Parts: sequence; C-alpha cells; structure tokens
Amino acid sequence: MKNTEERAMAFVNLYAVLGAIPRLCELDADAAALADQNVSIGFDVKGGPAATLSFGGGACRLSEGTAGCRIRLPISSCARFNGVVAGTVTPIPSRGFFKLGFLLKNFGGITKILESYLRPAPGALEDPDFFRRSTLLTRHVLVSAAAALGNTDTVARASASYIPDGSAEIAIGGEDSVWLSCRDHRLTAVFSRPDDVCAVMKFRDVHLARDIFDGRANSVACVGNGDVRIGGMIPMVDNINRIFDRVSVYLA
Amino acid sequence: MRELYTYEKSRELFARAQKIIPSGIYGHQGPAEGCYMPVEAFPFYSERALGSRFWDVDGNEFLDYMCGYGPNVLGYNDPDVNAAADAQRAKSDCVTAPSPVMVDFADLLVDTVASADWAFFAKNGNDVTTLAVLTARAHTRRKKIVFFRGYYHGVSPWTQKIDYPGILPEEVANNVCLPWNDFQAIEDLFAREGDEVAAVIAQPYMHGNFADNELPAEGFWAHVRALCDKHGAVLIVDDVRAGFRLDLAGSDHYYGFRADLICFCKALANGYNVSALCGRRELMNTVSGISFTGSYWMSAVPFAAGIACIEKMKRLDLCALLRARGEALKTGLIAAGKKYGFDLHVSGELALPYLRIADDPTLSLHQEWIAECVRRGIFFTNHHNHFLNASLTEEDIRQTIDVADEAFAAVRARREA
Repeated sequence: MKNTEERAMAFVNLYAVLGAIPRLCELDADAAALADQNVSIGFDVKGGPAATLSFGGGACRLSEGTAGCRIRLPISSCARFNGVVAGTVTPIPSRGFFKLGFLLKNFGGITKILESYLRPAPGALEDPDFFRRSTLLTRHVLVSAAAALGNTDTVARASASYIPDGSAEIAIGGEDSVWLSCRDHRLTAVFSRPDDVCAVMKFRDVHLARDIFDGRANSVACVGNGDVRIGGMIPMVDNINRIFDRVSVYLA
Repeated sequence: MRELYTYEKSRELFARAQKIIPSGIYGHQGPAEGCYMPVEAFPFYSERALGSRFWDVDGNEFLDYMCGYGPNVLGYNDPDVNAAADAQRAKSDCVTAPSPVMVDFADLLVDTVASADWAFFAKNGNDVTTLAVLTARAHTRRKKIVFFRGYYHGVSPWTQKIDYPGILPEEVANNVCLPWNDFQAIEDLFAREGDEVAAVIAQPYMHGNFADNELPAEGFWAHVRALCDKHGAVLIVDDVRAGFRLDLAGSDHYYGFRADLICFCKALANGYNVSALCGRRELMNTVSGISFTGSYWMSAVPFAAGIACIEKMKRLDLCALLRARGEALKTGLIAAGKKYGFDLHVSGELALPYLRIADDPTLSLHQEWIAECVRRGIFFTNHHNHFLNASLTEEDIRQTIDVADEAFAAVRARREA
C-alpha cells in the first residue's frame, strides 16, 4: 500500500532530497570542493515546486523560486521531476547551456555523494565519521520531507491539522538540534533555534536515531526506557511522528 | 518532606517485557501513550491494590486517581462485588449455555438506565461503540457518522483517523468531525447532508486529552437531539468513560436528554470484564439481526459482579459522594497551586477531574508538577482526565492536597534556583 502522490513527492524531492545539498557541503569536503563555482540551478516544476540551488565558494544554499538562476531547468510535470531525481528522466535546460559542464560534472558528482550518504553501501556505516554524517544528513532529509508532506500530502495534512502553532525540537544527543515549526497548520523545517519551542523529541544518540530512521527501532517503544525523550506539547510530537511514518513511505 | 520513590524492579521487569511484548507495555497504560514524562517518575507495574490505593512491584504505595482508567468505581477489591463474583464462579462462568444471571443483569440495567429498553453485553467499550455504529447503519441504511473533535470511541478502524498506522482511507471516508458545542456546524452539516447521516456519536461532554474538558453548552444536547429526530439519525452516547459517575440513570439523563443508544463499560462491574450497549425499543430488532459476538461475552462472573456493583452504587448514592469528594479535591488543589503562584485549572465534571497548570502553554510545567506528585505517592497522569472512586476518604483527599502542596513547592524552588 504505497499510495504516494506525485506532487507531494516532487516537494519532497526538491526541498528534502536536493534540499540536503547545502548541509552536505558543510559536512563533506569532497562535496564542498565540487561547489567551488558561482553557478545556480533553478528547478521549475509545472504544477509543483520551484527553487534554486546556488553554489559558490564551497557552499550551497537553497532559495525559493527560479528568478535569476544561471541554469534553468523547466520540467513539465511533477512526475517528470520525480523521474529526474530518480535518474530515469534527463532534464533539458532552457538557459545556461554554457554551464552544462557544471551541471553534468559538479552537480552530478554532488548528487552521487549525497546518495552515498542517504543510501549507504554495505559496510560504509562502519566508519564512525561517515556514520555520523550520514545520520545527520538523513535527519535533515526527514525533517525537510516532513515539512513538505505536512503541506502537500493528503494523509500528512490530516496530521498537520492537529498540530498547534509553535516549534518542536528534534534532537540527537550530543549534536545540534533541528526544528519543525508550525503556523496555521503549515510546517517549516528550521535549522536554527526558533523562539517558540513548545515540544521536544530527543534521541539518546546517533546510533539510536539511525535505528529509528532505518526502521530497526520504534520511537514509541523507546520512550519507555528513556532512549527517546518526549516533553511539552505532546499533540505536536504525536502528529509529527505520524508524518514521519508518511515520510518513510515516500523515501522507501 | 517525603522521600521520593524509585522503581528499580519496575524497570527490570520492563526490560524483560521489551524483549517479548511490543513496546513493553502497549496502549494507554504504557509509558508512551500514558504520557509518562519524565519516564523516571512513574511506576510501570503494580503488585496489589485495595480501595483507593495500589502498591507497585517496588513496594511504593500510591493513592490512585486513575482507577485503572475508570473501572475502579467502588474501590479496588471491593468485598461485596468480589463476594458476588466468587459465589457465581463457584457455580459457573464461561459455559455453553449462558447463566440466568445474564437476564438478571439486563433487567437491572433496564430498570436503572433511563434510556434502556434492552441490554446487550460484550467485553470492552470498543465492542459496544462498534455495535452501536453497526446498529445505526443497519437501521438507517446510511453511511456517515458524525463525531466531535477530541473524540475517543475505541480502537477499531472506524474510530481512527486517516493518518493512523494500518488505517485505510476507505475505512474513515464516512466519518465527519465537527467542533464540540458548535450549534451552527452541526446544523449546517444536517442541512447539507442530513439524509446521509446514520448517527451522531459523542461522549456526554468533551473529555478529550491535552485540553481543558468542556461541558455541553446550554441547549446543545437538545439541539443535537432535535436535529437527529428531524433527519432520522441515531443519537449514540458513548458513556464508557463517564457512565455511572455522573448519574446512575446514564449521563444523557444527567444532561436532560435521551440517547437512542448508550454505551457502558468502565464503571459497570468495578473491574470485572463486561460492557453493555443499551437502547430504545425500536432498535432492538435491528441489533437482533447483526452478527456480533465473542468467546467470553456471556461469561457469568462479570454479570454477577455487575449486579453487585450497580446495587452498591445505588446504596452509596455514588454520584453525590463523588461530587462531594471531587469538590474538596478541586478546591484543595487550586488553593495549593495558588500558594506557590501557580494557576491550576480543574475542568470537566467533579467525578472525573482534568488538571492543567495554565501558566505554561507548552504543558512542560504541568508535566513537572505531575511527576513530583507521582514520586511522592499520588498517581495523577499528565493529560487525561482522572477518576474518583467511592472508597476515597476525606483523609485521602487531605493527603493528596498535602502532597500536591509539596510538589508545587519543589517545582517553584527549581524554577527559582
């Protein structure tokens, strides 16, 4: 029973999967090296999301819309965009032909590195540094995907309709937190501490977080022994957890 | 100052349980759904119980304001109910042909509950809310069921929401959820699609979690009753939680209207395992035609316990007793909070008080205070209504307020440190 929606998947792919590239450039030196040129790539999906990834100086940032981007990729439908991200469809730029080298070599290289963290090869997670980076990136994708789905997916929107205004902290022991903010039942992933935190879900450490992200442990079961701490406005945590269930359907 | 409880044996047992039982303790009596925050403050397993108290496996004694989430209405191990159950057990319990005590119990319910012309027995509240919805759909030949936001009617798929694990969108496609006490919303719904509504199902007042409980507004139930009559919809009262604690004749009687179907469970037999659907004569034939049964639904021991429980509730004038105890508890707790500068809200009916410290909208302060109470032997829960029982004494209430005072003091000291 997969029951995903193409439009919701397009938002996940743009804001959560490709949206993790800025964080990837912070965590991985090889990715940062490929982000050395001042180039921006705009994805303009008909009937779906539009956003730009801007590279330069070893960093990357994601912004709304495609105005002013150097390479513009107009994509005729959400389904086609999802095909682009899955590697089954090749996009054709409408401008920026002179920067195709960056698109093919640098951007292609960065997405390969991203994939190596999000779908690690057997044995890769045995390297403690790689394990940590992979887990932090996975959390970044999950939280961003939760926001995307809470605003677009039919089932996740039902969960979001029960979330009160405020921000929930999603913390992993010993690491920086991330937050999901809600205003009028619309969700936003936030990566610096907001001033309206009213709920917390804290995983004991990166190993437990990884087990939960990968489906080897269940956060409800882990509350009992204190491995997962919840507190504050529990309807927020409860409904975010339900949206995470939807995220796992989309990212499976 | 009281010594704070610790729970080593509870934790050892839980570690064992986690290997062989999903979540260790699943559902509302588990640490996640039960909102045990912080988890270290709460006992997980009880060893024994008597009257208003239980003792956990570490030997800690608790004055229990959850009453097994409701069933304990007379006091744990009530001698009169136990004697009736023991006497029946000596004769029969789960037998091929049901015992005459089943008819006696149905007779007593019909005599006691104002809206009951008949009684159907099962085991859990969810069984009878499900039968009520089946009955409404079979009787009206319509699909839609109207709920009120914050509802809880059990765990069957029809009671859940579209985002719950394992639920198909089709299973909840005919559920309509309206705001509680919103006269216009329900009127608009009936005006728009009244000929598709099989039933309105509701608890007698809104005792949802995480928010102050809300009584029916003046005239609300009369309005709902009139709309159901006008449009031929069945009015179902889910009295599983509040039943018999407000009015032995049913909570619909308490609020001055008559349900078509009314569901009972928790306080029906003081912890013995039985639930009942009661209803008006016109629906009895419909229920007769529904295939709905279970292996233990006609066991005789809970019927005998139920008879003894109802008779004792009548002798004690239970509802008046619980209101008096509830008033003393409410007054004492609010005063204790005020002494330390906390604004404790006590909402809902006095026999089922819902507590919330209103100074902190994130609820963290409230969770901190509840944890301090539990560590000192008063079993409150964070975000669910509480339950009073008949064995609770005035001295128990005084002890509760003393502990609450000490817990407020501890929270205040920590906040100012």
